[in-house]
Amino acid sequence: MACNGGASERRVGVRTVVLVLALLALVATGAAAQPPGPRVDEEQVYDVASQLRCVVCQNLSVADSPSEMASQMRVIVRERLAAGQTPAQVRQYFVERYGDWILLLPPRRGFTLLVWLAPLAAVIVGVAIVAVLVVRWTRRRPTTAPPPLDRAMSERIRRELEQEP
Amino acid sequence: MIPELGTGALLVALTLALYGAVAAAVGARRGKAALVESAQHAALGVFVLVTACILLLVYAFLTFDFSVRYVATNTNLGTPFYYRITAVWGALEGSIVLWSWMLGLYTLIVVLRHRTSARELYPWVLTVMLSVISFFLLVMTVAAPVFARLSPVPGDGRGLNPLLEDSGMITHPVALYLGFTGFTVPFAFAVAALVTGRIGDFWITTTRRWTILAWYFLSLGLLIGGWWSYHVLGWGGYWAWDPVENAAFMPWLTGTAFLHSVMIQERRRMLRLWNLALVILTFSLTLFGTFLTRSGVIASVHAFTQGAIGVFFLSFLALVVLTALALIAWRWDDLGAQGALDSIVSRESAFLLNNVLLVAAAFTVFFGTVFPLLSEAARGVKVSVGAPFFNQVNVPLFLSLIFLMGVGPLIAWRRASLDNLKRNFVWPVAAGAVAALILRVVGVRPVLAVTALALTVFVAATIAVDLLRATRARRAMGERALAALGGLLLRHNRRYGGFVVHLAVLVVAVGVTGSQAWSVHTETTLQRGEQTELGGYRVRFDGLRESQESNHGKVTGTFTIVGGRGAGEVLEPAKKFYPQEQSPIAYVDYRLGFVDDVYLVLGDFARDGSSATVKFQVNRMVSWIWIGGLILTLGTVLAVLPERRKAA
Repeated sequence: MACNGGASERRVGVRTVVLVLALLALVATGAAAQPPGPRVDEEQVYDVASQLRCVVCQNLSVADSPSEMASQMRVIVRERLAAGQTPAQVRQYFVERYGDWILLLPPRRGFTLLVWLAPLAAVIVGVAIVAVLVVRWTRRRPTTAPPPLDRAMSERIRRELEQEP
Repeated sequence: MIPELGTGALLVALTLALYGAVAAAVGARRGKAALVESAQHAALGVFVLVTACILLLVYAFLTFDFSVRYVATNTNLGTPFYYRITAVWGALEGSIVLWSWMLGLYTLIVVLRHRTSARELYPWVLTVMLSVISFFLLVMTVAAPVFARLSPVPGDGRGLNPLLEDSGMITHPVALYLGFTGFTVPFAFAVAALVTGRIGDFWITTTRRWTILAWYFLSLGLLIGGWWSYHVLGWGGYWAWDPVENAAFMPWLTGTAFLHSVMIQERRRMLRLWNLALVILTFSLTLFGTFLTRSGVIASVHAFTQGAIGVFFLSFLALVVLTALALIAWRWDDLGAQGALDSIVSRESAFLLNNVLLVAAAFTVFFGTVFPLLSEAARGVKVSVGAPFFNQVNVPLFLSLIFLMGVGPLIAWRRASLDNLKRNFVWPVAAGAVAALILRVVGVRPVLAVTALALTVFVAATIAVDLLRATRARRAMGERALAALGGLLLRHNRRYGGFVVHLAVLVVAVGVTGSQAWSVHTETTLQRGEQTELGGYRVRFDGLRESQESNHGKVTGTFTIVGGRGAGEVLEPAKKFYPQEQSPIAYVDYRLGFVDDVYLVLGDFARDGSSATVKFQVNRMVSWIWIGGLILTLGTVLAVLPERRKAA
C-alpha cells in the first residue's frame, strides 16, 4: 500500500527507474499524438485504473496510488478511453508493455489459472468432506442411547427443547 | 548506558523464560508443586524485565539517545513528544518488544486466573506460554536486537516513517497485537490438553473468554487498520488486500471458525480433533503472518526490514507445527471418537458448513497472497494477485457466510423439524425477498449489492424474530417491555452477545457493500476559483498556502463545498514534505457523513497556487464500517460477561 513514500520506496530499484523513464517517454509521445478528446466517464477510468498495478508502488492500483507515476498512467488510461478504445484494449496496451504482471487480476489461463481454481477446489473438497461425514454420522445413531421413552414424552421434550431460545 | 542495561535485562528475561518453561514441565511430570511455583515466579520476572525494557526504550526515545540505533533510525530532533513514545513500536525491533510484553502480560493473567482452577493443564500452559515468549526474546537479542548500539553517535536521527505519525499508532498496533498474542492462550491450553491427555471439553470451556477476547482485539485491530488506511494513507479506501492485511485476516477467519466449532463440541462432544487443529492453525497463522511480512519475502508498507528474522520465524513455525502434529498423532486413538448426528437439517450442519467456508476463505487469501512467490519460484514469471482478484473470489464465500449467519443461531440443534423451520424462517425469508424487490424497484442495479443487502435484511430479521419472541415470552410473565429486553440480554448474555456481534458484522457488511457499489471518483485540475461537481457535491478550489511544521514542510490546498449539502465547509487536503523522504506524503481531508463521505486528495499543483489537481471522491456508507466496530465492542462485552443464567 505504500506509495506515499515510507520504507518501501527507498528500495525502488534500477529496474523501476527504467520503467518510469520508459513510461514518461510514452506519456510524452502519447500526449503529443492525441488531441484532447471528448469527456470520458470518470467511473470507467477508475474501473480500468483499479485493475492495473502502479509500477512504482508495492500493492496499490493505478487508481488508488497517489504517486506521480500512477497519475501519469491514469492520464494514459483517460486518453485512450477518450480516443474510443475499449477497457480491454487499454488493458492490453499496458500488458504489451509490462507483461501480465501489470494486471491485478491474474489472467484465467496458463499457470495463473491455478490461482483461480484453487479456491474453487478448496470449497468443493471441503463441502464434499462435510457432506460425507454428515451422511455417515447421521447413519450412526448416538451410541449412548437414552432409555426408551414413550412417544408423548419424547414429543414433549422435543417441543420444549425447541422453545428454548 | 541504555543499550547495556536493556540488553542485560533481555538476556536475564530470556534465561528466566527458558528456565520457567522447563521448570513448569518438570514440575508437572514429577508432581512437584514447588517447581511450578518457581516457574510462576520466573513468569513474573520475565514480565517485569520486559516492562523495564519498554521503559528503557521510552526513555531513550524521549532523551534522543541516538547511541541506540533503533532510536536513531526511528526518530529525529523534530519528532513530536507523543510520536516519540509510539515510535517505540514503530518498527520491527520495537514491535517485537511490544509483542513479548503482551505475551508476558497474558501469561501473568493466566497465572492469576487458572492457577487453581485448571490444576492439571495449568503447568503445561505455563510451559507453552513461556516457550513462545522465549522465542520472541531470542529474536530480540539475536535477530533483531532492539538495543544495538550505533557508533559513531549521529547528531540527529533519521526520523519516524511519516505515515506512522498518527493517533492511530497507539490503537491499531496495540489492538492487533493483543489479538495476535491472545490466540497464544487457547493454543497453549490445546497443547496442554494434548500433553496431559485431557482432551475433553475442559480446555474449550476454560478458554472460551480468551478466544472471544483475542478474536475481538483482532477484529478491532483490523477495523482500526481500515480507518487508518482511510484517513492517513490517502488512497481513498480502507482495505487493499495488502499482504499484511491478509496476514492478519487469515487468523481472523480461522479464529472465527474456531469460535463457532467449539460450540458444537461443548454441546455435542464432537469435533475434538477439528477444534485442536483449528486453534493450532490459527496460532500458526499469526506466526506465519509475522514471517510473511517481517521477513521481506513479500514487499509491503508494513514490511520493515529484511534480515535473518525470516529464518527465525520459519524455523519456529516449523517447530510449532511439527510438535503439534506429533502430539496429535500421539493422542490419535483418543481423538478418534467420532460424531453422531440426528439429522442433516440441524444447527450442527450449519456450523460445519460455516467452518468449511471460513477455512476455504482463509485458504483463498493464503494462496492468493503467496501465489506471486510460487509463480516466481516455479516459473520465473512475475504475476500480480491484487484486490480485484480477492474481491471476486471471496464475495461468493462471504455472501454464503452471511446467509449461514441467519440460519445457524435459529435452526434447532440435533434435528430441525419442519415446524421449527417454518416458525423461525418464514418471516425473515419474506423480509429478505421484499427487501430485494424494493431495491430493484427503487432502481438499485448491481446484482451483488442487491443480493448482499437482501441477505443482510434476512439475517437482521432472524435476529429480530428471535428477540421479539423471547421478549414476548417474558412479557407474558408480567415484565415490562424494556425490562424484559434487558433481562433477556443479561440472562442469556452469551447468546445475545453473539447476536449483537452478528449485527455488527451485518452493519460492516452494509458499509462494504455500499462503498463498493456506490462510491464515485473523479480527478481534475482546477484553476483558483473554479468549481467541480461529483455525486451531488460542488467543490471550489480557493488556493494554496505553504507552512513549516516542526519536522516537515507542508502545502495546504483550500477547497470549499458550495451549495447543497455541507455548503460552506472547508476541506484542506495537503502535501507534506519530509526531509528524510524522497516523495511527498499526501494528507487527505474529508467530511464524514452517515451516508456520504466527501474525500479529497491533493495532487500536483502550480507553485504559484493558481491551479491544483485534486482527487475527489464521494465514498458511500463507509461510516457504517466504523459504527459496526462500536457495535462489535458492545456485543463482545455482553458475550464475555459472567453468565447469570445459572444463578437465576
